[in-house]
Amino acid sequence: MSHHFRAIAAIAINTVRDAVRNKVLYILLFFALLLIGTSFLLATLSYVERERILQDVALAAIRLFGAAIAIFIGVGLVHREIDRRTIYTILSKPVSRVDFLVGKYLGLVATLWMQLLVMAMGFVAVSWLTEAPLAAGHAIALAMTGLELAVLVAIATLFSSFATPFLAACYSVGLYVVGHVTRDLRALGALADSEGVTTLTVWLHRILPDLASFNWTIEAVHGLPLPPAEVGWAAVMGVGWCIAFLTVAAIVFDRRDFR
Amino acid sequence: MLRRGLQTIVLIGVACAIGFSHAQLPIQPKTSESAGYLPGPEVARLASLGFDALVADFYWFQAVQIAGGPQGPVGQSHRIGALVDLVTELDPWVDHPYRFAALWMTDDVAAIRMANELLWRGIEHHPDEWRNRFYLAFNHYFYLGEHAEAAEVLEPAIGMPKAPRYLGRLVARLKGQDQGLDVPAAFLRELIARAPDGYARAHYERALDEIETERRARVLDRAREAFRERHGRDIEDVAELVSVAPPILRKLPEEPHGADWKIDDRGVIVSSKLRYRYRPKIDASNREIIQSIHEKGTGEEEEEGGS
Repeated sequence: MSHHFRAIAAIAINTVRDAVRNKVLYILLFFALLLIGTSFLLATLSYVERERILQDVALAAIRLFGAAIAIFIGVGLVHREIDRRTIYTILSKPVSRVDFLVGKYLGLVATLWMQLLVMAMGFVAVSWLTEAPLAAGHAIALAMTGLELAVLVAIATLFSSFATPFLAACYSVGLYVVGHVTRDLRALGALADSEGVTTLTVWLHRILPDLASFNWTIEAVHGLPLPPAEVGWAAVMGVGWCIAFLTVAAIVFDRRDFR
Repeated sequence: MLRRGLQTIVLIGVACAIGFSHAQLPIQPKTSESAGYLPGPEVARLASLGFDALVADFYWFQAVQIAGGPQGPVGQSHRIGALVDLVTELDPWVDHPYRFAALWMTDDVAAIRMANELLWRGIEHHPDEWRNRFYLAFNHYFYLGEHAEAAEVLEPAIGMPKAPRYLGRLVARLKGQDQGLDVPAAFLRELIARAPDGYARAHYERALDEIETERRARVLDRAREAFRERHGRDIEDVAELVSVAPPILRKLPEEPHGADWKIDDRGVIVSSKLRYRYRPKIDASNREIIQSIHEKGTGEEEEEGGS
């Protein structure tokens, strides 16, 4: 058992090292920090509630660029190793395919969380400089964004286990978009005259990841109380989705023929 | 050499064509036009992909640009209403947009009713915010002439955090169906004191000026009545109230900016500056009078400019 953990840890550390050498990561991080830093300029377009607008823009930048990094780095996760043929060297050692996949996943999640930390520091700095209020709600909202990014990496890992990076990116973006609208679709479906439409939207909401449940930015910005049960269940669901996507990815990856 | 020269000429020609065609296009942002497309709140929520707050901010900027733009908010109530509806559907915990709607949605009764609906949404999401109730009561009282509704809306605001002490007295007056000028003046003074910007303050100051003019006009109305009783006829000119022996008034109330008093076509004493009498609600007839005065006024100014 311990040799599995060692293998996963070694691959994860290697993935972090590999990821931080990726220029795309720095370009996206640069633009995210730029948008966070200049959010106060956008806020000046309004004559009231500038602190709120500043934090809306900064948190949206964190979520948007975090998702972009998760998808565009995540989809190349396996393909790069196959392309460089390093996967054959790794798998020729006592490392299972599942260990490899989990290690790659954890490495990328760790990289993303480091990026998230850097962006969060930028957010705190801008809020502090403009005297915008900061509270525990902001930390919880950022933590839930981190969990959403972990789910996104799991989605990208699943698609990268069998598809080319381009197709994996298309599938991941598609699932990200659908994941954010299932709740609203269900609400709209409930108003539909057709029973079939109502049932369909209910099932879409049930079987697809409800990514809207990780979004607590409005509550954080307005200083509203965050219901612990709702946040807790969203966290449990997030971990569940990560495990589910990784399990399917492992099954697919285990059967994949690299020739 | 010849080829390079031709390339340069072609590039200059293309640049001129782009510049010319661009110059033919309007420079006003499309968002400030009343005909611009706005999605319904459900569609906007779906399309925002979880970035509801950011999309709400985008529509808020549009609303602010309309109110503060070169054309101003007049005639834009319904556009502003649709924008604020979007903003508050996407992020109902916003604070100021509810009162912004109340401030600028005064074009007609339908717009005021819609602003009231938005204020109710604001009250639902900010139950301890007395100002939303104050604006709602103001709309009911000032524009719709609904005193009982105004009192009912305002009463729960008494004792709310930061609510002024005089709200109790105001509610009592509203309940007493007070037709005097003190109630609208009290409303307007509070709104002026709490106006978030110069535009809003000027808007309410104009309304308060109308009330102060009305106070002076009512003094003249009473003097006119006294003249009728004493002389058995009506005045021919407002100045007659002072010039008649013995005078009804020692002097005429002074109007600011050098304006004077006159009797208009309908036989009503009006200030030459305002040219209409204050009425606590904007109903269709009042609108028509104000509009005709403005149209006539514009014509006169043009004639004066021409001569």
